[in-house]
Amino acid sequence: MQTKVKAKKKKRTFKEWINSRDGQKVLVITAFMAIPLLLLFVFTYLPFGKMVSFSFYDMKYVGAKKFVGLKNYIKVFTRDDCFKALRLSLYYMLGSVVQLGIALYFATILSFKTRGGAVFKGLMFFPYLINGIAIGFIFKFFYTRGFVFDTVLSWCGFNLENLPYWLKDQRINNFSLVGTSVWRYFGQNMVLFIGAIMSVDSELYEAAMLDGAGKFQQFRYIILPSIKTIILLNVILSISGSLSAFEPPYVITSGANGTGTYFVVMHEIAHTQQKVGLASAMAIVLLVIIFIATIIQRLLFKYVFTDGEPPVDSKAKRLADKASKF
Amino acid sequence: MKKKKLLALLLALTCTLSLAACDSKEAPASSDKAVVSSTDSKGSEPVTVGTDAVPSYTELNLDDYKDTKASIKFIHHKTDRAADGTMDKMVAEFNKEFPGITVTMEAITDYAEDSLLRLNAGDWGDVMFIPAVDKSELQNYFMPLDTFDKLSEVLNFVDSGKFDGLCYGIPYMANAQGVLYNKAVFKAAGIDKLPTTPTEFLADLKVIKEKTDAIPLYTNYAAGWTMGAWDAYIGSVSNGDDTFMNQKFVHTKNPFDDPGDDTGAYNLYRILYEASKDGLIEDDYTTTDWEGSKGMLNRGEIATMVLGSWAYAQMQEADSHPEDVGYMPFPITVNGTQYALAGGDYNYAINVKSSDENKLASLIFVKWMTERSNWCYNEGGYTVVKGGKNPDMYSAFDGCEVLSDQPALDGEETLLNDMNNESELSFNAGGNSKVQRIIEAGVTGSETLDDIFDDWTKAWNDAQTELGIEVKY
Repeated sequence: MQTKVKAKKKKRTFKEWINSRDGQKVLVITAFMAIPLLLLFVFTYLPFGKMVSFSFYDMKYVGAKKFVGLKNYIKVFTRDDCFKALRLSLYYMLGSVVQLGIALYFATILSFKTRGGAVFKGLMFFPYLINGIAIGFIFKFFYTRGFVFDTVLSWCGFNLENLPYWLKDQRINNFSLVGTSVWRYFGQNMVLFIGAIMSVDSELYEAAMLDGAGKFQQFRYIILPSIKTIILLNVILSISGSLSAFEPPYVITSGANGTGTYFVVMHEIAHTQQKVGLASAMAIVLLVIIFIATIIQRLLFKYVFTDGEPPVDSKAKRLADKASKF
Repeated sequence: MKKKKLLALLLALTCTLSLAACDSKEAPASSDKAVVSSTDSKGSEPVTVGTDAVPSYTELNLDDYKDTKASIKFIHHKTDRAADGTMDKMVAEFNKEFPGITVTMEAITDYAEDSLLRLNAGDWGDVMFIPAVDKSELQNYFMPLDTFDKLSEVLNFVDSGKFDGLCYGIPYMANAQGVLYNKAVFKAAGIDKLPTTPTEFLADLKVIKEKTDAIPLYTNYAAGWTMGAWDAYIGSVSNGDDTFMNQKFVHTKNPFDDPGDDTGAYNLYRILYEASKDGLIEDDYTTTDWEGSKGMLNRGEIATMVLGSWAYAQMQEADSHPEDVGYMPFPITVNGTQYALAGGDYNYAINVKSSDENKLASLIFVKWMTERSNWCYNEGGYTVVKGGKNPDMYSAFDGCEVLSDQPALDGEETLLNDMNNESELSFNAGGNSKVQRIIEAGVTGSETLDDIFDDWTKAWNDAQTELGIEVKY
């Protein structure tokens, strides 16, 4: 359609036009764009649109549906299990801070020459390659009373009697679950960080070293500012990841014993109770929350790492000034 | 060259367009279905089942159809039986009698969920086990096998697939509901008389804890679905009323009140609560392992487990002491009588959209499986065929009255399902988290049993108001 309209404008026959350079350009662009856009539409936006419309209905998977307006949304906000489940995300957010810390630490160390660096990189990245369900099963046995974790700790001199029940004790079971997700994802974060750190000009380190900057100062004033974009990206990904944590609680504890995150609750409502409308509304509420969280983060980061970077800049300037004096 | 390019482009476009078309095609089809179902349910008397091409279940004489030729597909949830070759062996037996019928099988691990999706997608084959579908929807997906009146003359437990006087499903086996126990452990603890009330049962569990090393009551908390077994006993087992579960329950105002005589849902769940409170369950319930528990019961490391009789055969096979595995009726006595509930397991059903040939072959297959495969007996099931042989394991049930739940009243078939979904308690329908909550409360002391039941009653009553269900009892 579009091509035909354009063809008329140029007052050439369609055949002439399509054979011309312009025509070929349009043709290639349309051809390359059309397929991914169509796929995106068919498999992402269309189902999403359906979900939005489901959220206004009282419906099951099978059978008639009834329009209920905003009732599902009101329920999401009035039911005590939905938002209580969201509180568990705090554990996962805390975990993601730890995770990014560890990742940044190892990334910094490993991006300098380290003995066996590649092996460590590989070992730490490896968990990310394992399927999430498999990780769930690994940790189920890992945390079982008297199994792997307890055995390792008893080698270290802990007495089994004094060790807690990692999954049974409701005070710590969420930490146990968060531990698994930290173990799984920090390697991936680390690899991303290493990639970013590699792109830092190594002359900067030399210059800084000459100026008497220690390793920590190098990290603080050279590495950190250079990789802030990738840090921001990782923070956003891990925060939205913690809001939608699903695999560890679902596989390891099936959401029982106070470990049911928002997603697990949603899954239960959608599949066991078959309240598809309510679950769709929950999904959309979560989407909005993630949007808000992302916007807040972006704003926060603007304050922390502004483009001018006044504190960083002044220090660098002083260094530069010093250098020029000599 | 250019022509080729254009051709490739067109091809790519049509491919993607056809992808989009798939989706748009689905929408009108589903709305068609809705129309059909509404006219169907308005239509008055159901006529007799069976055409010239496909007779009804009772009319079908297996021996007249030895040379039927067709190829059918059967999807089921018995992954364990598919893995150990039982399914293949049965089909081989079937093919000895019906060499012309090819049966392809697919075992689905997460059957309860996946089968629903498959059912909706439509392309699932010819024979399946009916998943959680509202009874009013049965006719949209499955072929009526026979009228209820005729079928119930020859088979037990056919009411679970019944709607409007027609039967859409036949259970492949039936379960009697009781408690698995290890005879050797009971003997070692000096218990020679099986408990018959919750109080006696709890006392026995205590004795077992004191005198043996076995875990008195293994909850199988972590697997989740294993906890759902408790729900099976809230009906006739705990109150002796076979109309309670499917008829009265949805109309009951306070189904979880304590009747005060060691019966009812209250005292049923009290067993679990008190056992959890007194440390009579496994030490770390969050990491229980279902597969491992089978061997533990077999070896006498576990004294009791509350599960349907279907589990009996698996426990026997799990290790080297099959003779120690026993099955007893649930320890609740109502006015001097112990009741046992027997009911159908998953129901075979036949795709209404299959061709007549496949429908006939499927019906032959279902009938053969029900009457000649011995599957039900081999699984330790309570007989589906009227007058069939029962396995020895039911000997402890001799003094009990075996009931099967009465079907829901006409026009109320969907109420229990609706109530389950609305209240989110999901009795006998995957409501495991509510039973898990009892254990958590018992062990941590975070809630009393009364708190939990108040919550449930409130959810139940709210659902009754929401759905406009009359409270009668």
